[in-house]
Amino acid sequence: MVRWVDLKDSISNFWFEFKRQKTGILGILLLIFWIVVAISAPYITEPDIPDKWKTIWIDYPKTVPPTWVKFFTGVEEAPHYVIHSDQLQQYITTTSRGVIIDIPYNMKYDVPPQDIVIMDISGNSTNRRLKPSLTLKVKRPDGEEITLVSGLKIKGSTDVQVARDSSVRKAVINWVKQKTGVQLDPTKEFELITTLDTLKVVFAQVSPDMLDNPKPLKGEYHIIIEIKTPKGTSVDLSKTEVIFTGRTYGYLGTDDKGRDLFAGIVWGSRVSLSIGIATAVLTVLVGIFYGVAAAYFGGWTDEIMMRFQEFMASIPSLPILILLGTYFGGHIQLWQIVLLLTVFGWVGIARVARSMAYQIKEQTYVEAAIALGAGTGRIIFKHMVPQLLPYAFAQMALSVPGAVLAEASLSFLGLGDPTQVTWGQILHDAQNAGAAVNGYWWWVIPPGLAIALVALTFVLLGTALDRVLNPRLRRL
Amino acid sequence: MGMGKYLLIRALNALIVLSIVTLVVSALFVKMAEKDLENRIQELVNSEYQSLVQKGRAPADPEAWREERIAYYRHQFKLDRPYWWRVLYYAKRTITLDFGNTRIPIFGTERNVKNIIALALPRTILLFTTAQIIVIIIGLLLGVKAAQKVGSLFDRALSILALITTSIPMWWFGMMMLLIFAFKLGWFPANSMPDPNLTGLAHVLDVAKRLVLPVTTIVFVLFGGWAWVTRNIMIGTMQEDFIMAARAKGVPERKVIYGHALRAAAPPIVTMTIFSLLGSLGGAIITESVFNWPGMGRVYWIAIQTNEINLVMGLTFISVALYLIGVIIADISYGFLDPRVRVGASAKM
Repeated sequence: MVRWVDLKDSISNFWFEFKRQKTGILGILLLIFWIVVAISAPYITEPDIPDKWKTIWIDYPKTVPPTWVKFFTGVEEAPHYVIHSDQLQQYITTTSRGVIIDIPYNMKYDVPPQDIVIMDISGNSTNRRLKPSLTLKVKRPDGEEITLVSGLKIKGSTDVQVARDSSVRKAVINWVKQKTGVQLDPTKEFELITTLDTLKVVFAQVSPDMLDNPKPLKGEYHIIIEIKTPKGTSVDLSKTEVIFTGRTYGYLGTDDKGRDLFAGIVWGSRVSLSIGIATAVLTVLVGIFYGVAAAYFGGWTDEIMMRFQEFMASIPSLPILILLGTYFGGHIQLWQIVLLLTVFGWVGIARVARSMAYQIKEQTYVEAAIALGAGTGRIIFKHMVPQLLPYAFAQMALSVPGAVLAEASLSFLGLGDPTQVTWGQILHDAQNAGAAVNGYWWWVIPPGLAIALVALTFVLLGTALDRVLNPRLRRL
Repeated sequence: MGMGKYLLIRALNALIVLSIVTLVVSALFVKMAEKDLENRIQELVNSEYQSLVQKGRAPADPEAWREERIAYYRHQFKLDRPYWWRVLYYAKRTITLDFGNTRIPIFGTERNVKNIIALALPRTILLFTTAQIIVIIIGLLLGVKAAQKVGSLFDRALSILALITTSIPMWWFGMMMLLIFAFKLGWFPANSMPDPNLTGLAHVLDVAKRLVLPVTTIVFVLFGGWAWVTRNIMIGTMQEDFIMAARAKGVPERKVIYGHALRAAAPPIVTMTIFSLLGSLGGAIITESVFNWPGMGRVYWIAIQTNEINLVMGLTFISVALYLIGVIIADISYGFLDPRVRVGASAKM
């Protein structure tokens, strides 16, 4: 029986020693930080992020940097601006033929918004052939007017994304041609229809090179949405929101689906921590018991167990993991990842545990216990494993980084759990979208730093624990 | 036990392990490829049927014809044999170094698995072994230096750097290097595929330029760990009695460190060297993918994605075999370098 007083005593002794390890203290602080982040993820961000992560966030800007970049670039970029449904009501006037929404927008930025998104316009129609139709115009401060969308039929609940639409681009290009009289050769025009940054031109000064080099025209704009409701149709705007998606977003920007990377990073900490810790604990337990058993039984059992250990050690583990990943249908669930990493991870620990257990077995009190007729289980659990516990604790902390990196690597290859938000997957998406080529640094740097920081946390803890718990190493 | 007998036992052991690994991988992969092959047979038969129809020679009884063709292909692909037979068949072929061909050519036109490996292995050796050698040299020098001045600013800075760099995912650091030095600054090419039009010195320079970013990445991520381990081993040796004796005799400090201490610390360092050199042969799959480096790791990934059984089997076999050879070499060299270790103790690895 372990007495409570002894336990308390050894804990306070341990703490006394541990306190003197500066790296250990830093490790604890980092660990607390990560635990707080992981637990409070639903409160710092939104509770439904993992579900939402699978979709495209249409009301968010796509691949934009964080808001704080303006302090470095000095360019004032349009922020994300949402007009909620209750605020929108004051811009609505109802006429006999339908509804007109006139939204004033003060464009005082060096770079105009990325997109104008109208969310959740609901059209009802009792007549099968007639539907409410929407026309969207922009009245500019220089008195010009551009029709971006004309006569769009509204069926059921509809979202309108102005800047992602090629017919809108076509309308804008035609307007520019008409206003400035520039001629475009067909290949150039075709290229513009797929690549033009629409709103940069809509909010630009009229000049012949406004398609290639738009200069912002600041001032008061009016976004006018006219909805015609022929007989038998009606439109419901009670939930409608209009969003001017920004050129920057949040603390860490967004990816190409408009997903808020800050939310992704915060939620990713959960997976990283739980996978890392679960794998490390399981791996070390399996390794310790395997090693101790081999040493205790000795002889042929030991020989066979060590042959098996050698066999496991000689398997190239990452390829086999990838193979199994594709075998499981391309995606490995989180618990499967833990299991697989454990299966391939215990090998090294088992070998060290075995050599340590051989030393312990030679000690007189173990021999005495055997002579007194103590059972196998008693000797292993009571006399041998507890001697290895200090080694085990340090080893657990030191195994976490490997597991975190392994999970991230698998997710990076696209084999991760698709129901979870993980840092590896964020980096996988970044790699697929050519984030490095396009210079989307905010999409590449934070997830990698987060992985490295979690790994560092446990490396710091592990080395500090190692020094305190394994006194042989203390002089280092 | 004599050296010869010991070697023989080790070699036998390695062969057994190699056969079992091959068998296991074969079992896994044969199962995986089954569905893929069935689909391919369907496609083949369909396209054959289409071409017959186009030539106006459509078979009278399409159903019977179809069945006959499917049976033919199933026999061709050995799908009519039981599962265990196929596992043994592929394992046996692999062990006798008959790797066969791939379906789709890799590296342009090459379909022979042996030739593909012969192309990829030198590239991986070029990249990872170059990097590994630089890592070992830098790591040893810095580690010894830190061990000389334990607790100094240099020692602490090195320890912290080692802890930080080992926490960084190598492939992420590679992405960062590409982002900064290939795309932002444009100093180095982003693609590692060598330019096929260049020959002679121009080719060497081209490859060297493409090597810079991946090598830097590997060196940066790995050197800290090496330095740290070397430091710890050296500190341990420096406290041994024979070092004290050497110092007392008045042997110059340089000679004490490089002549006595480093030689005594050599066995574990040599073992580590052998293992990391071997580990590097398999190529880091993801790192090679990030840099598009056409070595073993990249080929492995392509092979798994395209379900090339023969190629996966061949690559796995070669890397496991190399690893096992390395274990034996490490064992023997350990015995040579450290007379305290009895070579017969097969438990030591």
